[in-house]
Amino acid sequence: MAQQANVGELLSMLDSPMLSVRDDVTAVFKENLNSDRGPMLVNTLVDYYLETNSQPVLHILTTLQEPHDKMDTNVVVLTTGVLVLITMLPMIPQSGKQHLLDFFDIFGRLSSWCLKKPGHVAEVYLVHLHASVYALFHRLYGMYPCNFVSFLRSHYSMKENLETFEEVVKPMMEHVRIHPELVTGSKDHELDPRRWKRLETHDVVIECAKISLDPTEASYEDGYSVSHQISARFPHRSAEVTASPYVDTQNSYGSATSTPYSTSRLTLLNTPGQLPQTLSSPSTRLITEPSQATLWSPSMVCGMTTPPTSPGNVPPDLSHPYSKVFGTTAGGKGTPLGTPATSPPPAPLCHSDDYVHISLPQATATPPRKEERMDSARPCLHRQYHLLNDRGLEEPPGSKGSVTLSDLPGFLGDLASEEDSIEKDKEEAAISRELSEITTAEAEPVVPRGGFDSPFYRDSLSGSQRKTHSAASSAQGTSVNPEPLHSSLDKLGPDTPKQAFTPIDLPCGGADESPAGDRECQTSVETSILTPSPCKIPPQRRGGFGSGQPPPYDHLFEVALPKTAHHFVIRKTEELLKKAKGSTEEDGVPSTSPMEVLDRLIQQGADAHSKELNKLPLPSKSVDWTHFGGSPPSDEIRTLRDQLLLLHNQLLYERFKRQQHALRNRRLLRKVIKAAALEEHNAAMKDQLKLQEKDIQMWKVSLQKEQARYSQLQEQRDTMVTKLHSQIRQLQHDREEFYNQSQELQTKLEDCRNMIAELRLELKKANNKVCHTELLLSQVSQKLSNSESVQQQMEFLNRQLLVLGEVNELYLEQLQNKHSDTTKEVEMMKAAYRKELEKNRSQVLQQTQRLDTSQKRILELESHLAKKDHLLLEQKKYLEDVKLQARGQLQAAESRYEAQKRITQVFELEILDLYGRLEKDGLLKKLEEEKAEAAEAAEERLDCCNDGCSDSMVGHNEEASGHNGETKTPRPSSTRGSSGSRGGGGSSSSSELSTPEKPPNQRAGPFSSRWETTMGESSASIPTTVGSLPDSKSFLGMKARELFRNKSESQCDEDGMVISSLSESIKPELGKDLGVEAKTSLNLDGPHPSPPNPDSVGQLHIMDYNETHHEHS
Amino acid sequence: MTEDSQRNFRSVYYEKVGFRGVEEKKSLEILLKDDRLDIEKLCTFSQRFPLPSMYRALVWKVLLGILPPHHESHAKVMTYRKEQYSDVLHALKVIRFVSDTTPQVEVYLRMYQLESGKLPRSSSFPLEPEDEAFLAIAKAMEEMVEDSVDCYWIIRCFVNQLNTKYRDSLPQLPKAFEQYLNLEDSRLLTHLKMCSAVSKLPYDLWFKRCFAGCLPESSLQRVWDKVVSGSCKTLVFVAVEILLTFKIKVMALNSAEKITKFLENIPQDSSDAIVSKAIDLWHKHCGTPVHSS
Repeated sequence: MAQQANVGELLSMLDSPMLSVRDDVTAVFKENLNSDRGPMLVNTLVDYYLETNSQPVLHILTTLQEPHDKMDTNVVVLTTGVLVLITMLPMIPQSGKQHLLDFFDIFGRLSSWCLKKPGHVAEVYLVHLHASVYALFHRLYGMYPCNFVSFLRSHYSMKENLETFEEVVKPMMEHVRIHPELVTGSKDHELDPRRWKRLETHDVVIECAKISLDPTEASYEDGYSVSHQISARFPHRSAEVTASPYVDTQNSYGSATSTPYSTSRLTLLNTPGQLPQTLSSPSTRLITEPSQATLWSPSMVCGMTTPPTSPGNVPPDLSHPYSKVFGTTAGGKGTPLGTPATSPPPAPLCHSDDYVHISLPQATATPPRKEERMDSARPCLHRQYHLLNDRGLEEPPGSKGSVTLSDLPGFLGDLASEEDSIEKDKEEAAISRELSEITTAEAEPVVPRGGFDSPFYRDSLSGSQRKTHSAASSAQGTSVNPEPLHSSLDKLGPDTPKQAFTPIDLPCGGADESPAGDRECQTSVETSILTPSPCKIPPQRRGGFGSGQPPPYDHLFEVALPKTAHHFVIRKTEELLKKAKGSTEEDGVPSTSPMEVLDRLIQQGADAHSKELNKLPLPSKSVDWTHFGGSPPSDEIRTLRDQLLLLHNQLLYERFKRQQHALRNRRLLRKVIKAAALEEHNAAMKDQLKLQEKDIQMWKVSLQKEQARYSQLQEQRDTMVTKLHSQIRQLQHDREEFYNQSQELQTKLEDCRNMIAELRLELKKANNKVCHTELLLSQVSQKLSNSESVQQQMEFLNRQLLVLGEVNELYLEQLQNKHSDTTKEVEMMKAAYRKELEKNRSQVLQQTQRLDTSQKRILELESHLAKKDHLLLEQKKYLEDVKLQARGQLQAAESRYEAQKRITQVFELEILDLYGRLEKDGLLKKLEEEKAEAAEAAEERLDCCNDGCSDSMVGHNEEASGHNGETKTPRPSSTRGSSGSRGGGGSSSSSELSTPEKPPNQRAGPFSSRWETTMGESSASIPTTVGSLPDSKSFLGMKARELFRNKSESQCDEDGMVISSLSESIKPELGKDLGVEAKTSLNLDGPHPSPPNPDSVGQLHIMDYNETHHEHS
Repeated sequence: MTEDSQRNFRSVYYEKVGFRGVEEKKSLEILLKDDRLDIEKLCTFSQRFPLPSMYRALVWKVLLGILPPHHESHAKVMTYRKEQYSDVLHALKVIRFVSDTTPQVEVYLRMYQLESGKLPRSSSFPLEPEDEAFLAIAKAMEEMVEDSVDCYWIIRCFVNQLNTKYRDSLPQLPKAFEQYLNLEDSRLLTHLKMCSAVSKLPYDLWFKRCFAGCLPESSLQRVWDKVVSGSCKTLVFVAVEILLTFKIKVMALNSAEKITKFLENIPQDSSDAIVSKAIDLWHKHCGTPVHSS
């Protein structure tokens, strides 16, 4: 417990947010898991994971190693696992394929497990396990036939597996058809995802069911031709099975032998080694006796070779409750138990029968079957005897006392060897006893297990009844059984048609208490047979699980699948009729798949339980228990629990299947509805089609009419056309004729025209002639008139000639008189004229020549002009070029000049700087001297005044003049406007000259602000020569002197007094300057010095910043 | 026509095929052969093509007005220039402003200051920012031009050009820079804006010093070709291209100071490519200069 708590703590720590803690805890867990081999820790982990979904736990679980991941041998777990696997498989067809081999391996192991039963596995569990393995077999075969078959082939080709194959797998294989995929498909094709894509889960389930031949598994769908037949038959058969449940009981008894009680008992009382032998002996005989039954022994199917043993081992006391039941059944029915139907052989026999029926026509009954029948009849008798004996030995029927079982051990040896039936009977008794024991065992501590037995309770009731019924029906069965073979036995056949329908009715009537549940059962059976439901209620449902809750979709079948339902009803009724005719021998035993075995086990268990509950008085129970040890064995409880668990699993699995079926049914229903709708649609379409066809007919008729009309019109048109053609031809002929005529006429016309033209020509000629003649005539007449006028003129002229002759004679006379005077003059005149003419001619020539030359000259000059212009332009260009060049050079020169200017400026600056320093030095010295000279100053003042007046005269001395210049300067500074105007428009040079001391100071002012401090001290040390300023600028000084001399002279003349006063005021400064500068000049300037007055100091203040600065400092 | 006949007839196709600079030297020689050099043509040539290094000094001198366009007066003008140089230098030596130990660059600065009348009273006064820019440019120029007279004159005229011709346009360059950077890579600009580094970029280094000290001289002289020939906008594209080239690094830097510091000391190895790309970019945005005549 402490450890448990510790684990819990650790688990909670596992989810702590601290990573280190988590790692530590994980490590602790792993260590524990490695050291501890028990499953406890693992289980705790799993539980914890399921509770919390803790990720680290999952991690630990997934990394589990060797000792823990071993196979659990607990059947409950295994079965659960297998069922889950089977349930899952259709859901994950695609993703599961990687583990296909694992699935196969599981199958292989489990199947071998079923046979070998490792460990102490209870038989009851094995039933479940076997059932689940069987289901797994179906699922695997249904889903992956090729792979599975190849696996089977490889796996069971090994010798060590051969036995398993024979015992377990082979029987399973007889419940399946050949899978069509085995023919059409391949291994790879099976795993093709496309194959699974189209199928939903329930489709897969149904696919698997289709393969099965097991009536409880198989699907009853249309479309599977073979399976359809089978399935059509099977439901019926199963119905029969349900109708005559004695087989059920029988089988379930057979399987019930494997209940944990028996085995546990067996293990307690007998050595396990003995059991199989004793148990297997009857079964082997069962196998050997009926030739075909070998395959269909239920025990074989279930993998259980130990059916009957338990009775011998069961304590006699416990048989009491059962014996009562047995007795009642026996008593109620007379001796029906002896009938072959009750015996186990018929079960396999009938099974084989079934298959014969399926595979062969019913008429061809095989000899072995006859034999079987015979055999089966025989043991029944034996058994009957035995039972009678039993009864006779012990108690009268109806009483509670059990007789047979107490003697059973004694009988066992003989009977077991002699007859199976007896053995079986005994088994039954023993099992029932066992069961009763169980139930009593349960009944006592009933209260807490109410939930457990509740489903069984009712079941047990019905089951018990069924058992009794079975006896009855078996009685009928036996009587009817040989009927097809021996017609002589036919007599009983006809009188039991109703029984065939409702086989339970009869026993019901004879049943003892027959509770309400039983009636329900019967009715449900009846309905299940008579209603056209294709889905027969499987026995297990009848057994109690399903009867209470009929499938919710049952009623849908009639609606959804009217066709199928109808079909099925017809078939059903046919078969029923056939059966009614006497084929009741078929009510024998249907196939016993593990499912059924399991179902029956459940039923039986419930049956017994209920009986115990109902009929056992409480004291006896208590007695039993006291007798047995006082307390219910815990082992049994556990087993029961496990069983319950298994059953629950089974239930869940079946529920799953049912759900899948429900799904499928719903889908099918939808399809059917759709199909119906489509059919109606088709019908409507057909109607429409008919209508349209009618229309088409009508249209055809009208078309024909129209065609006739059309052809008529065509003919008319043709005739018209031919007529018109002939007309055209005629007209053409006419036209040609006309054409010829016109041609002829035209030629004639042409001829006429020619003639006319000729005539016209002639006419013209004639006309010409006429004209010509007329002209001639007129000419002639004109000539005539001319000649006439000429004649007249001639006459006139003749007369004139006469006159003129006379005049001439007269003039001749006159001429002769005057001729001698005029000739000389005329000659001279002529000569003069000639000369003049010549002269003029020569002149003209000259003139023209001159003109020519001048014109040439003009041209020449013009060309010259053009040339000159051009030259001029070139010259201009060149000039420009040269100008540019010069400008370039000039610019360079200018820049040079600028640079020079800058250089000089810099130099000036430097010099002025130096001056400034000198001045400072001078000032300092002057201040010192001033005190010493103060006394002398007064005396010297007078001389100075005189000197100041004669100052202008003494201008020849350079230095003196310089000083004079200086002396004048203060005045212009005081009256700046006048000096500015006088000083050449205030040019820099003049101003500099006029105030030689000031400029440096003034200029230095702005500059000195930066560096005044540096030069302040340095200047003091340098000897200052203020007076030398004019010297250094001698050239400038000269000019200034000239300028100022004039000025000073004039001014001196004008107001000597003012000058003197001014000079006086400047004296100290001058004196200072001169005194410092040169002692020689002091003599000249000597008279001037005057005592320092505040004015001059103030002036100095303004003038020399540095000085004042010094003074202040 | 004569010019064309002297040129290789294939020259037209060289550029089409992608060869550049094959015929440039020859065409420049042709240009320089003219008496009375055509300044405008030289400007256009210098803007379009990189100058051959052997003619660079000559072209610069002509473009900057140190030499007149007439070959005849070159010698004379040059003597003037030399004399001016020596005069100024002498003056400086006389006033003991410079000595033989004074670094050449400072000598240039003092000479320039003297010529422009800005010479301080003492050489120990702290330098003005413009003097610093002058020193940077002079230092770069000293590497490019061997002759000290030429060097001084080119520096002088170059700085003068910056101070006169580009006086109005230089302050506009940061704006133009932003604009073109936005066109080329707006993301980078937004990054710069986010870091508020736009106003703190080394504009002085870029535009006042014309990248002197930022790019190695071999690349720088190609930029200055353009500046000398009259386009100060080239500087903007060089700056843009520098940012584009070092985009990744700049994007990685988040503070304005870091960006500025990085841009002031960019790696020198890719400068040639930067300049080539910048000139391409300049041609792309402002068009290839074509001689107007």
